Amino acid sequence: MRYDSITDVIGNTPLVRISPAVHGLKNIDLYAKLEMLNPFGSVKDRAAWNMTRGGLATAMERGDSIVELSSGNTAKALAVIAGLHGLPFKSVTNRMKVPEIKDLLLLLGAEIEELPGQTECLDPTNTDDPLTRIHRVLSESETGYLHTDQYYSALNTEAHIAGTGPEILRDLDGHAPDYFIACVGTAGSSTGVATVLRGHNPAIDVVGLVAHKSDFIPGIRNIDEVHEVGLFDPATYDTIESVSADEAIDGMLTLVRRCGMLAGPTGGGAYHGAVRHLRKVDAELTERRTAVFIVCDRVESYMSYVRKRRPELLNQPPRQNSVAGLAPAELTAATVIDVESAQKWIAEDHPLVIDLRGPFAYAALHIEGSINIVDELFDELLHGGLPFGRSRPVLLACPVGEKSVRYAALLTRMGHPDVRSLSGGIIGWRDAGAPLVRD
Amino acid sequence: MRSSPLYLEPRLEPRLRSVLQATDFLHTLVDALGSPLNVVLPEQITENEERFRAVYQRHHLSGDLYFAHKANRSSALVRQLAVTGAGMDVASLAELQHVLGAGFTPDRIMATGPKNREFLWLAARAGVIVNLDSKAELESLAELVGKYVLPRVRVMLRLSAFQAPGVKVLSRPSRFGSHVSELDTLLDAVERHRDAVELIGVAYHLDTIGLPEKAVALETCIRVMNECQRRGLQPRAIDIGGGFGVNYLADGGQWERYTTELTNAVLGRRPALTWQGHGYGLRSESGTLRGALGLYPAHRPVAAEGYLDELLSYPAPSLGRPLATLLLENLYDLVIEPGRALVDQCGVALARVLEVRHTPTGDCLVRVEMNGGDVSLEEHGVLMDPVVIPRDGSRPAPDAEAVGVYLIGNLCLEADLITRRMVFLPGLPKPGDLLAFANTAGYFMDFSADHALQQPIARKVAAYQENGTWRWRLDEQYWPITCTGEQS
Repeated sequence: MRYDSITDVIGNTPLVRISPAVHGLKNIDLYAKLEMLNPFGSVKDRAAWNMTRGGLATAMERGDSIVELSSGNTAKALAVIAGLHGLPFKSVTNRMKVPEIKDLLLLLGAEIEELPGQTECLDPTNTDDPLTRIHRVLSESETGYLHTDQYYSALNTEAHIAGTGPEILRDLDGHAPDYFIACVGTAGSSTGVATVLRGHNPAIDVVGLVAHKSDFIPGIRNIDEVHEVGLFDPATYDTIESVSADEAIDGMLTLVRRCGMLAGPTGGGAYHGAVRHLRKVDAELTERRTAVFIVCDRVESYMSYVRKRRPELLNQPPRQNSVAGLAPAELTAATVIDVESAQKWIAEDHPLVIDLRGPFAYAALHIEGSINIVDELFDELLHGGLPFGRSRPVLLACPVGEKSVRYAALLTRMGHPDVRSLSGGIIGWRDAGAPLVRD
Repeated sequence: MRSSPLYLEPRLEPRLRSVLQATDFLHTLVDALGSPLNVVLPEQITENEERFRAVYQRHHLSGDLYFAHKANRSSALVRQLAVTGAGMDVASLAELQHVLGAGFTPDRIMATGPKNREFLWLAARAGVIVNLDSKAELESLAELVGKYVLPRVRVMLRLSAFQAPGVKVLSRPSRFGSHVSELDTLLDAVERHRDAVELIGVAYHLDTIGLPEKAVALETCIRVMNECQRRGLQPRAIDIGGGFGVNYLADGGQWERYTTELTNAVLGRRPALTWQGHGYGLRSESGTLRGALGLYPAHRPVAAEGYLDELLSYPAPSLGRPLATLLLENLYDLVIEPGRALVDQCGVALARVLEVRHTPTGDCLVRVEMNGGDVSLEEHGVLMDPVVIPRDGSRPAPDAEAVGVYLIGNLCLEADLITRRMVFLPGLPKPGDLLAFANTAGYFMDFSADHALQQPIARKVAAYQENGTWRWRLDEQYWPITCTGEQS
């Protein structure tokens, strides 16, 4: 397939059946609408393009910036579109909770502004929601802005009325499914698709999924937050149910491990919510039914999200030469040396003095003649073996002597004959009045 | 259909729970000393301090902890801290006088906030640490030291307006501290007044619960300290202020249910939960929710020493290492100034129920012998239920039906509500019962109380346990040497 512009690639995503062996439903065919296969990686590509395409010519003429309140996929898609057209893009966000996306946005050239956190003491003068704040900033600003306004813009919903909804109908041979399940973020995709599908099948059961209130699932709002969304209309959904972050990750695991769909947690939440909802009706059914859910985006951006919530999923095999594997006896057996003896030893035997602190701290003050290998790096080096010869005695120093004694024990285990740890560390050294220098 | 009760039950640790169960004790106190009455639990503050110390130890950090006195005026709490290793953060002349009289030596006192001349002079005369709010304050201090031939004063520099690398992290503008961008002139002034002041550290206090902003500020302070050392100054400490927070509620589920229902009430999807449909900052604009919830996050799973631990484990935005590691390896001491968090679980405000009345419109009003200023939970946006302490010692019958009531105060003012929200109680209180506002020692007890209508301000007593029995003294009569929790 040949295209003139990457934006032409947006849409026409595949509808793929989930194997009944995976979901276990007897009477329902469950399809995933793979929005993650859009060119910039998510369902938001459609809304971003639809919200900007009409205003781009004017914006380019005037040199306006594109502005949006987003910390995720919409910002990503808008940053790409802005870049394609030589426009600056600015994203205002409450908090970037997913570091990979933050880095990616910076890489794409976006400007990001994070709004302040909640005040600790109640400040009654602080009554703005982020959106009101953006509107105020835009009205005060001198330069022009193309504010896409994803939570209110009808163009967001329209992208799905014109694209996503009809595509599903087409792929189901002109029939609307009996069930449609989607996570509610801006409500654009769920509202747009539900409108189209209900037009063909008024009896369709539309399930909107929100996040558990105390949980965070990227791209989904919780039951209170959805009310802040202008596009959200409770009447769109026959049922609103919530999913937890754990359930979303479980759903994601099923999609990535058993279905070959490299979906992110939002897609996982939709899968989990879909199967949970459909299981309740499946047993009662006497004829075949069809259900569709949306897979919003891809898994790769959420590794730190998974690492934080389910570290066991990413566990690494134990590595050799690790301080974690030291026995208490090895730690007690490590040689420590007090400041006075250390000064004498340095003067007489010239051991290699290794300062394990960070480079910033080392640059400020250190023991004269010492070299700086920051602990993280030293740790890496030791996995590969001894980074210096056995004939050279070594003095290890860290802030208080707690890390250095571990590395002394490890080096001893690795066969180094004379490694000592500075007792009390650099702080003890300073407190004893021993000299520290700054180069 | 009757809506189910939306409780917001306070989190009670054993000591506070125990005093609330001593119903005869509390009723006797209020009978004798009047309503409202504040009870503080000095023994608890020692325990809280130890919890903060444990976090220091876990990160191998040294440095001092200063209690932000403004959270509570109690002498008992201050004197109790005098026997521990804690210091005091004082923000007014009277607070400084108070802590000097409570036994704090000058090396354990820090004067913070904007100061008048008298406050500055007494601070310098006594030799306490002065946390300088601005360059102008440094100049005034140096002038006083010269004019009255005072010893060299140890000072810290409070900084503000920190800039983040990478992503722009916006922070609310602060009225306090010197702009980081003016650091050079500030340090020039410190060097110029070298004979009057000794720079021992830099400081910040940000009014936010957001870790990223605090991480930016702390990392900037580490860089500033480095700059000071490059200039030959030798500051040792970074003061990160307070704002560690308190978890007020026992049950996060209740908080979530309440705030969801409040949202629904604002949107008109359920009967009002507040007096005159007040929305606590939320409002409805054509069915869409606008505004921001102006409430303290009363359920905070990570608060107090837990929050400090999290901050210290947080990676520095540009240097990358955890903040505790950076402090440690740069050989800096950590200074903290907890207020609210240090008096967590340290007190209760009591009020007698005067009248229970049903209005023709169906509301139930409970009038209490105190006013909104006596327990300023509402002013600080903390929503937390009072505990009913019945006069006759009975508990509400198990089949008693929960009631939603409005708590009205003793001022002849329409606006004098203890809280604008409907408070759900497990049963209807009776005149003579007490309402106990638990965990109110931090900012809610005496911060806003005044003599409007010549109504009395609450007296304060210190309660402590002796051989398993609750004892009390007037706050000003409490000295930690007589009440050690063992024998007097």
